[in-house]
Amino acid sequence: MYEIVEHTADLGVHVAAATLAEAFVDAGLGLFAVIAGDVGQIRVTDELTITVVGDDPAWLLFDWLRELLAAFDPGRMLLVEFSVELDAAGLRGTARGERFDPSRHTLAHEVKAITQHAFDLRPTSAGWEATYILDI
Amino acid sequence: MTRHATTTAHGRPMPLERVDDCTWRIPRSARPGMRVDGLVFADDRLIEMVRHDQAAEQVANVAHLPGIQTASLAMPDIHWGYGFCIGGVCATDPAAGGVISPGGVGYDINCGVRLLRTNLTLDDARPVLKRLVDHLMREVPVGVGQGGRYVYSPQELRSMMQSGVRWLATRGLATDDDVICTEAEGCIPDADPGLVGDRALARGADQCGTVGAGNHFIEVQVVDRVADEASATAFGLHAGQICVLIHSGSRGLGYQVCDDALRDLRDAPRKYGIDLPDRQLVCAPIESPEGRRYLGAMRAAANYAFCNRQLLAWQVREVFAQVFGRSWESLGMTLLYDVAHNIAKVEQHAVDGTTKDVCVHRKGATRAFPAGHHDIPDRYRAVGQPVIIPGDMGRASWVLRGGPRSMERSFGTTCHGAGRCLSRTAATKAAKGRNIAEELERAGVIARSRSADGLAEEQPAAYKDVDLVVDVVHRAGLSSKVARLRPLGVIKG
Repeated sequence: MYEIVEHTADLGVHVAAATLAEAFVDAGLGLFAVIAGDVGQIRVTDELTITVVGDDPAWLLFDWLRELLAAFDPGRMLLVEFSVELDAAGLRGTARGERFDPSRHTLAHEVKAITQHAFDLRPTSAGWEATYILDI
Repeated sequence: MTRHATTTAHGRPMPLERVDDCTWRIPRSARPGMRVDGLVFADDRLIEMVRHDQAAEQVANVAHLPGIQTASLAMPDIHWGYGFCIGGVCATDPAAGGVISPGGVGYDINCGVRLLRTNLTLDDARPVLKRLVDHLMREVPVGVGQGGRYVYSPQELRSMMQSGVRWLATRGLATDDDVICTEAEGCIPDADPGLVGDRALARGADQCGTVGAGNHFIEVQVVDRVADEASATAFGLHAGQICVLIHSGSRGLGYQVCDDALRDLRDAPRKYGIDLPDRQLVCAPIESPEGRRYLGAMRAAANYAFCNRQLLAWQVREVFAQVFGRSWESLGMTLLYDVAHNIAKVEQHAVDGTTKDVCVHRKGATRAFPAGHHDIPDRYRAVGQPVIIPGDMGRASWVLRGGPRSMERSFGTTCHGAGRCLSRTAATKAAKGRNIAEELERAGVIARSRSADGLAEEQPAAYKDVDLVVDVVHRAGLSSKVARLRPLGVIKG
């Protein structure tokens, strides 16, 4: 589950999930909800594989989001389905969606970057929660 | 559902002590680790807004940076940013272990504004205004995912980033006058385009000459009030004159340079023993390999941004020429000035009576050198550097000149805009059931946007009143009012 949260100049995403891998999935979905507004317009025709190396879950999440943003800009892919496997080496993920088509897709925000400001990933009694702020 | 983040990191409000009628101090004692005071320029009304978000906390956080000089400063358009507040100014001394922090520049390296004059009057513009704005919307790329007609190879981008606007002049896309009337003559020295990565080059390939989204725009304006006749004349401005304001930055190329630098610097605080209250303040000594790498890449991205605004101006000139059926030269579409408001520059400043080189970070703040400064173009030197302050799309923008006290009080710096007072989500909520474009049209402003959300998030009520902000910097002597401009038409992402 993700929700868009307030920040004076920018936008944040808050994620709550039962597992760490699901938190990564929901964080990815939140990113594309900010970029595209309605993620329902994104069809699933292409798949990307993303690998991130590291052992700190917070940096793994940050780098996963950086890679997803790069898939859109410069990669021009709109993504809507994600799966993530985590192990001691890092993260192996897949992201599915389609190429941005200006004649068919409307976009909501230009995301400049994932910021480290107030970036947070933590275990909770119900699983994992994460918050990140996007520069718009 | 929306969540409000209102508590400070320490859970208690930041003390703001009145210094005078437009200056407030956050004493160094407010937080352990602050090396200098925080100083916020604001009047009684604006300081109330500061108390309502986390910006003051961020001013205090910046005061932790090694080598910071005099104070961590904030302009009256201050609001909550990431790492640094927006409206923040911080000068660091390289010789005293001073650091460079990409967060003190921001993702949009050399975001800035330029103002084009015309010899048109309101009467000339009014009958064709709608057509003019629609034409701009059609011809000038705005919005998310909109590439432009100028597409450059990595090699061309590197040449552009090395030479700045002069590179465009060699291709017939800028005049010598355009070069002279751009901060740093459109080329910050010591840029190192070789440090700009492949992903940044890919993001920037077709974005030079595009507006982008967020708060960026192109606005047709009229000079509605001259505050200082002599200075306005020196700037070639007069009441009733049509001008065009362009607000954009380094686009995806700059965002990626910043992002790459933050990754490069990830371990720098540990390596150099720097303790930071916010990870987004990540930094390295200016005189370190990491610091020098960022500065070289940042300057390259800054030069790309000058070129972006130049290509936007070029396209605006072409549109005016088409709509009015005359050349842009005969329409008098010369450049008043182009200023950066997200940048770090090494400049000479007097600190405690000693003149030295410091690295001035301006994060949502504008250089405002006073009359006589050697870095001002000859034609403006007797008056002071032109400063361009975009407001919101319903009220006003301002042209100021560098103020007499800017060097002693703010490292030659003033505000950069109105500053947000509503979050994007709050603004969208406030716009529910309303048609912002129609409201603006009733108020005499033709607004065109790629997305309805864009107009809602950027509606006038989302911003502080720029007149109040400018009043503070004028009274504080950071910059002086020259002319107020009112919007007539705007295109946005």
